[in-house]
Amino acid sequence: MSRLGGRAGVVAFALLAALPAAPWMSKYYLLLAFDALLFGAIAMSLDLLMGYTGLVSFGHAAFYGLGAYATAILLERGVLSLWACVPFAILVVGVYAVVVSYFATARRGIYFALLTLIFAEVVYTFFRYTQTFGGSDGIQGLPDATLWPGVAIDTPVRKYYLVLAYLVVAWVVCRTVVTSHFGRVLVAIRENEDRARFLGYNVQRYKMAACLISALLTGVAGAIYPMRSAFATPDLMLWTESGEFIISVMIGGLGTLVGPVVGGAFFTILRDKVSSVVDWYFIVIGVVLIVIVLFMPRGLLGLRRLLTPHRWRATA
Amino acid sequence: MARDGLILEVEAVCKHFGALAALTRVSLAVEAGQVFSVIGPNGAGKSTLFNVVSGLHEPTAGRVRFAGEDITGLPPEAVNRRGLAKTFQITNVFPEISVLDNVRVAAQSRVAESGRVASLWRRSDVDRVALPLLDAFGLAGRRDELAANLSHGEQRYLEVCLALATEPRLLLLDEPTAGMTPGETRQATALIRAIALERGLTLLLIEHDMSVVMGISDRVAVLHFGEKIAEGTPEQIRSDPGVIEAYLGGADD
Repeated sequence: MSRLGGRAGVVAFALLAALPAAPWMSKYYLLLAFDALLFGAIAMSLDLLMGYTGLVSFGHAAFYGLGAYATAILLERGVLSLWACVPFAILVVGVYAVVVSYFATARRGIYFALLTLIFAEVVYTFFRYTQTFGGSDGIQGLPDATLWPGVAIDTPVRKYYLVLAYLVVAWVVCRTVVTSHFGRVLVAIRENEDRARFLGYNVQRYKMAACLISALLTGVAGAIYPMRSAFATPDLMLWTESGEFIISVMIGGLGTLVGPVVGGAFFTILRDKVSSVVDWYFIVIGVVLIVIVLFMPRGLLGLRRLLTPHRWRATA
Repeated sequence: MARDGLILEVEAVCKHFGALAALTRVSLAVEAGQVFSVIGPNGAGKSTLFNVVSGLHEPTAGRVRFAGEDITGLPPEAVNRRGLAKTFQITNVFPEISVLDNVRVAAQSRVAESGRVASLWRRSDVDRVALPLLDAFGLAGRRDELAANLSHGEQRYLEVCLALATEPRLLLLDEPTAGMTPGETRQATALIRAIALERGLTLLLIEHDMSVVMGISDRVAVLHFGEKIAEGTPEQIRSDPGVIEAYLGGADD
């Protein structure tokens, strides 16, 4: 139980599950909550790479966007079942992720960031200019997906519970990884890649596996996004999207899993709130992020360290 | 095949870095259970020899055989899996994780599910290996400390613990007492020797300080400018005119 977060985790999920019942809850807030949790879950998946393995991916938007297009292509053709869309997305993203992670981990250092970025830009360009997939408009006006025949995921509340269910699954996967022997090797690779090799570990294989798990989780997040938005556009794959995932991990706190969920949600809500007031919202967000990075180097979650002596840094 | 009792055979190994010949036709034969030392002045090619044996560098020419199997050119992780572990001259541990987790990650490299998908949920008990090691090196009380917070001497011991946790048959020690005071050095070499004997390990040791190895070695080889200039028992080496020339005359070159 403690492996999965114990009592604090149960309380957090119970509160999230009760959220739609809050008196001030509206359709608008439920969908904002959807976006916040989805972004948080993606940041958590990216944390497996950034915080635990020490690899910074600048191409997670491609996993996200490919997952979204996988779902959009099926929904467009009348295949509405969640249980068809998600496996299809896993297949598509999985094949792509194996190729990317093989080349990106073949060399050390900056190459991982560069190659993930370059691959993602290729995927973006492909969808941006392929008219079969709607070119720059993407695939729009999609029907609602179904949980099973007759039960459509059509109301904000149902959509919200869909993303919450995904967050629970992603959380269990991520916690299982980081508390396992496998996760301990990832942290060792982050700390000292060379030494890990001399202890008998095939470092590239471990990096590829971590990359694949992170990519699949992000791809599934992408797969459920069109079920809320009814569209998939090439903008989902833009490098700025990858940048926002990275920023969310940073503001939340590297190597903590919970932190990036909070960071992703915080970033989404901040962007939504500020952009509804002013056009130049990115300047406001930029200032807030600089303050967080300068004064809270361990991220929002680092604030807890001031209150408790508990160590949050990943020790596996 | 290995000649009887030989655990490591280095045959006419050359290693060139561009125009620099770091090793020239160096051969060694290490018997199982021995303490074998390689000494030589700084820059003699000792660390390069270790890097070739442990898989970091591929030799330009020559072969390396471990327990009868050709391991020339295999990557470090493959060499380690065959039972050859190495410690580093410059401390090389996992700084931001605890001392115990350092040794655990090394020890779990040898459990059955290591490298398999099952390592995600099956967690073998590696503390059975890790805790006695920490005890033996007096680090048990520091097990929850981050490795980065250990003293220099403690980090040197942790370095040896990591290598031993992978349960090697042959342990390569690259100046294990680097940076220690003479008193600490004597204590450390005695401790390492005792642990190696207890585990039936073969030790291959690099030192630039001749006095460290003379008391504990069964056999000593001397490298000078990338060539082996002598090999024998410590007594033979001590009185070898070529060795004396290399060590005393070397300063004037």
